[in-house]
Amino acid sequence: MPASTATWLDDKRSQAREAYAGEEVPTWRRSGFWTTSLRKLDLDALEPRHHEPLDAIPPIVSEALGDDELGALVLQRGASTVHTFLDPQLAEQGVIVTSLERAVEEHSDLVREWYMRRLSPEEGKFAAASAAFWTGGVFVHVPKGLKIEKPIQSVYLIDEPGTAQYAHTLAVIGENSECSFREYCLGARFEGQALHAGGFELYAQAGANVQVAHFQDWGSGEIYDISTKRVEIGRDAHVGWVPVHLGGRLTKQTLDIITAEQGSDMRHTGLYFTERDEHLDLFTTDKHERGHTTGDTVWKGALTGRSRASYEGLIHIVKDAQETHTYLQTHQMLLSSDAKGDAIPSLIVQTDNVSASHGGTVGELDEDQIFYMMTRGVPRSEAVRILVEGYFEEVVQRLNDEGLQALVRRRIAEKLLAAEDQVAKFIGERAGEDPADHDLEGEAA
Amino acid sequence: MSLEIQNLHVRIEEREILHGVDLKVDKDQTHALMGPNGSGKSTLANTIMGNPNYEVTEGKILFNGEDITEAAPDERARAGLFLAFQYPATIPGVSVANFLRMAMNARRDEQIKVKEFGKVLRENMELLRIDTAFSSRYLNEGFSGGEKKRAEILQLAMLKPEVAVLDETDSGLDIDALRIVSDGVNALRGPTMGTLIITHYTRILHYVRPDFVHIMLDGRIVREGGAELADELEEKGYDFVREEVAANAG
Repeated sequence: MPASTATWLDDKRSQAREAYAGEEVPTWRRSGFWTTSLRKLDLDALEPRHHEPLDAIPPIVSEALGDDELGALVLQRGASTVHTFLDPQLAEQGVIVTSLERAVEEHSDLVREWYMRRLSPEEGKFAAASAAFWTGGVFVHVPKGLKIEKPIQSVYLIDEPGTAQYAHTLAVIGENSECSFREYCLGARFEGQALHAGGFELYAQAGANVQVAHFQDWGSGEIYDISTKRVEIGRDAHVGWVPVHLGGRLTKQTLDIITAEQGSDMRHTGLYFTERDEHLDLFTTDKHERGHTTGDTVWKGALTGRSRASYEGLIHIVKDAQETHTYLQTHQMLLSSDAKGDAIPSLIVQTDNVSASHGGTVGELDEDQIFYMMTRGVPRSEAVRILVEGYFEEVVQRLNDEGLQALVRRRIAEKLLAAEDQVAKFIGERAGEDPADHDLEGEAA
Repeated sequence: MSLEIQNLHVRIEEREILHGVDLKVDKDQTHALMGPNGSGKSTLANTIMGNPNYEVTEGKILFNGEDITEAAPDERARAGLFLAFQYPATIPGVSVANFLRMAMNARRDEQIKVKEFGKVLRENMELLRIDTAFSSRYLNEGFSGGEKKRAEILQLAMLKPEVAVLDETDSGLDIDALRIVSDGVNALRGPTMGTLIITHYTRILHYVRPDFVHIMLDGRIVREGGAELADELEEKGYDFVREEVAANAG
């Protein structure tokens, strides 16, 4: 751990270390068959790996970033920030994008004002771990009244087995500012285990308009990701939040987006696609803490291989948050007979005079759609690919970021190609059977 | 060049629906297959196209002399068969234009050029009086009944099959839409496209005059004739045919 001049941070870290020591490695259980267990993870064998700064961006990162011109970039490899860049013009305008470590040194008061406002080391073993042990990290501050076109980018890279990456990102977007912030989690292909334990907090202040994307693609190595992400939306501010989960041995994420003041608005769009032995456990909360706020959430997922994916999406409208209007839709598509998943929308409403609706489906590809496409000359495997891509297209359209859209479309196509044979077999087995769809619907008004 | 159905018996979920159907559609002919609900018309349409839910237990389907009874639906389509669906599926995330281009490319060795595709699409949309914005909508998503039928006929016009089966294309259309769709079919049919119009009602046959009419009852073709048979049916109704068949059987 770096020696810090900020004693306030030392205090916070030591509280978190205590919380960490007091917690057992958890097993998460939910109603039904769902259990997320870390018993296969050899936590003691992992440690933070430090690296020298890099002049050139590694290919695995540059491929994901594509040709988009960036306003800023912070790249963390293992435990170390290895590359940072900030457009000089943005620096001149007062934008700060750097490692959190450095921000603590250079902007101690600013960081202290926001640090861990919405995160707590008391939330569990790994929330405590990231709060206690984070290194490198990311800090973004956009001063008020700025409109930034080029995306601000951060990347957490794990490219060595044995790595424990404790991450912390803090982003503060000033009043009436507009920007787009993308955080990518990328893993190289390797044999062996690694861990990413992350905390993410973003504050969109009054009147801000922010696009936030999380793109997680840990690859085919055995990377475990246990993270908590929280987005707070201030008065009359808007945040479009896009978490995308495309790979990781085991992922357990708590994703919360909070309309904290009147007039705040969220557009929350998620996507996941699991394969092989991957295990994904997502719990999202759209929390409305004040009245006169709005929300619109769509999550879609697909599963191949022997993968497991559970999505639970909660709308929580607290007491007195009247005149809240929000809805949540979640869909999940099974593409393999060995895959298992669920998609559960739920609702807690502690006030009246609101409208909140939610719906969820778990289903398989529709044999009528496949037949229809085949009657137009499209071979079965091609029809399946087009239908799955079409299924995701609704959420891809909502990403609102061409570079990210292209990346997501490419990865979906790659995953479908990799699973082509098993999907064809699965759909073939299903032909003629009754579709095993079930619907979950709920309303509250 | 023809579609020929010989002694076709078809089962769905253990129940036999078609009990030996014979029918031949040459590529310069227009046939109408008429029958009341539940007579097996749609079963025949689905079986011609190879829907896996329908099982052929006896007889065969020949296309241009080749036995296609066991062929996959996409092979039949690439050979030149087309079915305009009564209830076409929705294809989310795929625009009408992209879908059409994909379907056209599926039956060509060389991909169609973007410019050429655009031109053909425009011409056919004009023919069917379809608004240009239509082509960027996801196929059949949120389409009205009439829009779905027009999208089917647009595909027919773009794909130019050798034999087209139109399954209840007239149902659910108001008189203006029916006229537009009929004009489209008239522009496309014969001498290079054989057409099998499947319908419950005679009204589309006022616009698209068939060369041959076949009446189906309970999974069998019970009467055949020229266009005048449709007129007779309009006058007397299916019960008359049913009584006649019963009398002959007795």
